[in-house]
Amino acid sequence: MKTITNQAGIFVRSTWLQYVALFQWATVRGYIGYKLVLPITQILFFVELGVYATGRHNALYFALGNAMQITANAGIFGVIATVANERQFGTLPMLLGSPANRLVTFLSRAIVNTLDGILSVAVAIALVVVLFGLNFQHASVPLLALCVLVVSITTSGLGLLFGSVGLVMRDAIVIANVIYYLMLVFCGINFPVSRLPGVLQLIAYSLPLTRGVEAAREVAAGASLSQVSGLLAGELVVGATYALLGYALFRWLENQARHGGLQEAY
Amino acid sequence: MRLRFISPFAVLGWLLFPTIFAAVGLFVLNRPGETPDQVAYGVLGGGLVGYWGVAYLDGGFGIQSERWNGTLEQIFAAPTPFWVILAGKSVGSVLWGMLSFVPTLALAFFGFHAVVPHLNGGAFAASFAVLSFSFLCVAFGFAPLFALWRWAVPMINGFELGFYLLCGFMFPVTILPLWAQGFAAALAPTWATTAIYAATTSSGPHYFAYWWAAAIALSLAYLVGAWWLYRLVDRKARISGELALA
Repeated sequence: MKTITNQAGIFVRSTWLQYVALFQWATVRGYIGYKLVLPITQILFFVELGVYATGRHNALYFALGNAMQITANAGIFGVIATVANERQFGTLPMLLGSPANRLVTFLSRAIVNTLDGILSVAVAIALVVVLFGLNFQHASVPLLALCVLVVSITTSGLGLLFGSVGLVMRDAIVIANVIYYLMLVFCGINFPVSRLPGVLQLIAYSLPLTRGVEAAREVAAGASLSQVSGLLAGELVVGATYALLGYALFRWLENQARHGGLQEAY
Repeated sequence: MRLRFISPFAVLGWLLFPTIFAAVGLFVLNRPGETPDQVAYGVLGGGLVGYWGVAYLDGGFGIQSERWNGTLEQIFAAPTPFWVILAGKSVGSVLWGMLSFVPTLALAFFGFHAVVPHLNGGAFAASFAVLSFSFLCVAFGFAPLFALWRWAVPMINGFELGFYLLCGFMFPVTILPLWAQGFAAALAPTWATTAIYAATTSSGPHYFAYWWAAAIALSLAYLVGAWWLYRLVDRKARISGELALA
């Protein structure tokens, strides 16, 4: 029991410290620019594109897809930057030298970004309702919130994996850009996954967000928990897989660094 | 230009982003029952997005990049006027941005078997030249803006998709609410883009001379603003020595 309490304490402290130390990009102006203006304009752009292509009656499809994708903004950009910044700021050797539980410190990197992702989607969905007059009268709001929570967690899982890659790469933010924008194509944000060629559909369903967006759309159309539980469970499995792969990579890189004395080289 | 070949960000700008936007645009716009206008937006939209992205961002960081590389002082001390050096860099950015059309047109043709349904070659070429001039002026104007006020970078960068929206790169601005069309009209690329798409369709109005004139007049207005900003940059760098601290 004492061990669990200790680990929980490390987790909370680590989460707080990573927020104050590694969330440095979130200045007020930076936050407004990248976390409010960018998501809002993304939604407006793709909704208008969708309206032009398919008519005003499909606005909800595009609005909800892009609102959900905004979680990836925090989950991908935020988490990758948070993990990779250990290298940039020269704190990686200290982290590797500490006796703290690696899994706890690793997962704590994602928490603030997950919460941030949820906040971003809440703002985005509110905006969609105000600007486009879309109503969610058929939707269960708590269930929609669950979809948002699940997607925020799973995109952070993907962020953890590529954040680990960022430990040994100079321009980690390049990876974040690649992943974030590829999700626009693969995850059924603006058109159904079924329109992709077969091989690309496989990639789509091996990524987080795809099932989460599908679930959110079904919830918006009035589906119940039992109807979307399979999609949400699948989404969680995909996210957990990426997080575990990220952790395994993190540990492997750590061992490589220890054996070769390469901490500073990272 | 040589530096851009080894920059992963430059590759993102001309290759990845436009290809992704082209793919989304083509999947959304290139469907059974689509109109020829929609096909044209699907074919050219990704390239225009990439062209704009490289021109404004790469060109806009023309001064900032010198500051980061520690070469700003040498450039100021060189006998060549500062604005001439920046103009050269901006032209390089615009030329680099044109590469965006290579992957996007290839994707449209080979991936979606989509081509521009009708092309008035002369009007298209002239409109494209006007668009390039407007991008050049925007890049030239953003460079001192980004150097003087750091807050401008996240704001304008964050508004990137807003420019796609207001400039009508992937759909006509006429579908936007009237108030948004008012903002769109203040952007030079909007008029040039309207002319480009009009050159790909036989229907609709073809007020090319009017659209070109509007785009060029607005671009010249941006140059006037840029001239004032460059004087400010010059003063901060030479008189107060504060440019490196801005």
